[in-house]
Amino acid sequence: MSLMDSLMAGLSLVSSFEAFAALFLGICIGVVGGAIPGLSATMAVALTLPFTFSMQPITGILLLLGVYKGGIFGGSRPAILIKTPGTPASSATILDGYPMAEQGEAGRALGMALWASCTADLVSNLALILFAGWLASFALKFGPPEFFALILFSLTIIAGVSGESLLRGALAAMMGLLLATVGLDLVYGTNRFTFGDPNMMGGLNFIAVLIGLFAIPEIIAMAWNPVAHLGQARQLGNSTVTFADYRRSFKSIIRGSLIGVFLGSIPGIGAAPSAFLSYSEARRNSPNKENFGKGEIEGVAASEAGNNGVAGATLIPLLALGVPGDVITAIIIGAFMVHGLQPGPMMFLLNVDIIYGLFIGLIVSSVFLLLIGSVAIKGFRFVADVPKRILMPAVLVLCIYGVFAVNNNIFDVGVMFVMGWLGYLMMCFRIPAAPFLIAFILGPLLEDNFRQAMLMSGSNPMILFRGPITWFFWLATVVTVFAITRSIFSKST
Amino acid sequence: MKQLSAHVHVGIAACLIALFLIFIGIPKAVSSPSNVQNIVLAPTFWPYVLSGITGIIGLAMIIGGWHQPVTKVNDDESRPGALGWLRLGSLAVIMIVTMFALPRLGMVWTTMLVFLITALMFRTRHPRTAVLCAMLIPLALYLFFAHVAGVGIPQGNYVRLP
Repeated sequence: MSLMDSLMAGLSLVSSFEAFAALFLGICIGVVGGAIPGLSATMAVALTLPFTFSMQPITGILLLLGVYKGGIFGGSRPAILIKTPGTPASSATILDGYPMAEQGEAGRALGMALWASCTADLVSNLALILFAGWLASFALKFGPPEFFALILFSLTIIAGVSGESLLRGALAAMMGLLLATVGLDLVYGTNRFTFGDPNMMGGLNFIAVLIGLFAIPEIIAMAWNPVAHLGQARQLGNSTVTFADYRRSFKSIIRGSLIGVFLGSIPGIGAAPSAFLSYSEARRNSPNKENFGKGEIEGVAASEAGNNGVAGATLIPLLALGVPGDVITAIIIGAFMVHGLQPGPMMFLLNVDIIYGLFIGLIVSSVFLLLIGSVAIKGFRFVADVPKRILMPAVLVLCIYGVFAVNNNIFDVGVMFVMGWLGYLMMCFRIPAAPFLIAFILGPLLEDNFRQAMLMSGSNPMILFRGPITWFFWLATVVTVFAITRSIFSKST
Repeated sequence: MKQLSAHVHVGIAACLIALFLIFIGIPKAVSSPSNVQNIVLAPTFWPYVLSGITGIIGLAMIIGGWHQPVTKVNDDESRPGALGWLRLGSLAVIMIVTMFALPRLGMVWTTMLVFLITALMFRTRHPRTAVLCAMLIPLALYLFFAHVAGVGIPQGNYVRLP
């Protein structure tokens, strides 16, 4: 199929009212969800997932991508107005966004956040379109040993960068891998940790695990301390962002977008480190570096470009390799699976229409984000006023319906509750949930590819080092472990 | 007595979990055919490897955390008082009761009660809104999932919805 044929196939798939309406609605949900501190873009995507089951695959996935993109932008609003990031990715926006709000320039900061987000989103989407296909065609050469080495590398980097402690991240990843062994054995079909219960023979339901890990702990935390933590929201002020502001910050926006694209395309790093790196680079190169941290608009632009630049790029490893780039794309992979799609290089051959449909939808999403974001800036107060002590019971009810709807199985609701308590314990002991979830998804792939490689080679482990691709990933794994360990030791001394 | 850091506690828990899995969990709960020719292909191999690595991580946490200074946490967060524990316990009970009530009362009625009880337990300042939401949200979700998505929502043994 030529590029034009693929593009036309994608266009025919996506050119329906439902698809664009889903994308539009998704961005609205994301902008609102991301703006509510404690809800976060991750939880918004997780809670929206069950509503996509009855939709066409492209419509459902566009809805979730809309929530993702809207959520990342939405997190900037509470960061600027109440000094509380709606999502971790918006933490860097506080540094200059809140001082601007204190000076009565919240409207200007929010406007710049919107423009920087949309620009970075566009750059990120273009990078996805340019690189995903190329990477997928390269990945077609991968066999089980290459995939094993790739997934091992992804797990290493995810465990290492997703929290304050490498060991806690690694422990979370191990727990996720262990939980993924529940079910029938892939080769011999024997029981593993099923305790004779037929509900567990297919393994634990992925949606139940993810909603349990990300939504339920927030509800349990509210039971522990029900006092709402919303601070005093600042006024928008009269000043708005101008084209001169945008032009002055343009270099930082593009730099931040490229940093986001680069870091986003490496599985596991995510939006928050990208935002901070983009911010520090903007500060280093700016003629106004002494204003950074005191309300510099370029700082807001850089951090927002950094975190939004990640949004499209995290889909590069997802679509091309079947490896989620961050926790939200790990949830989105669930939507692909529910609709019988397996992201990875074969998808570029078997479902190229869906791939190009997604590309078209993503480009349109940048425009929708600009439109919705402009309106949402003014509507923040309504979102900030949502009483959290009504919101959380609603989330609990939504979780029960959503998890039940996956398999029409009450057992899954129980799994969600148990995972919720586990997630809460992890939260209390500051063990990050993201490596757990990503390892839970990648665990079966890792084991499957390992055992296939062993079957291929007659159990000769040297097959895991059979060519330059495997060597590359092994080397990358070693370098990553070394770099993370060194950074830990340098921090502690 | 030396006060141990949270790192050490987590490490000890990880070691205990690993030991439990290696000596009790895997031998009892993972069945492996007797004719497996190579150990790396056995169904027990992967769980043993993962348990072993978990134990090693746990040991590393204990060793690393032993000399780590104990970080003081905010007293308000660490000691919420008996009410906090009571609410946590109540939420656990609500979840257990929900599991029993879902097939008997039906999902709509159960979730209505769950909404109302949790909102009151969270000491909402908007009780009337909570009652209204407790009725409307489960109904709206029922309408979507049952009539749009075609999901067979449990109706229970008493009052059935159209």
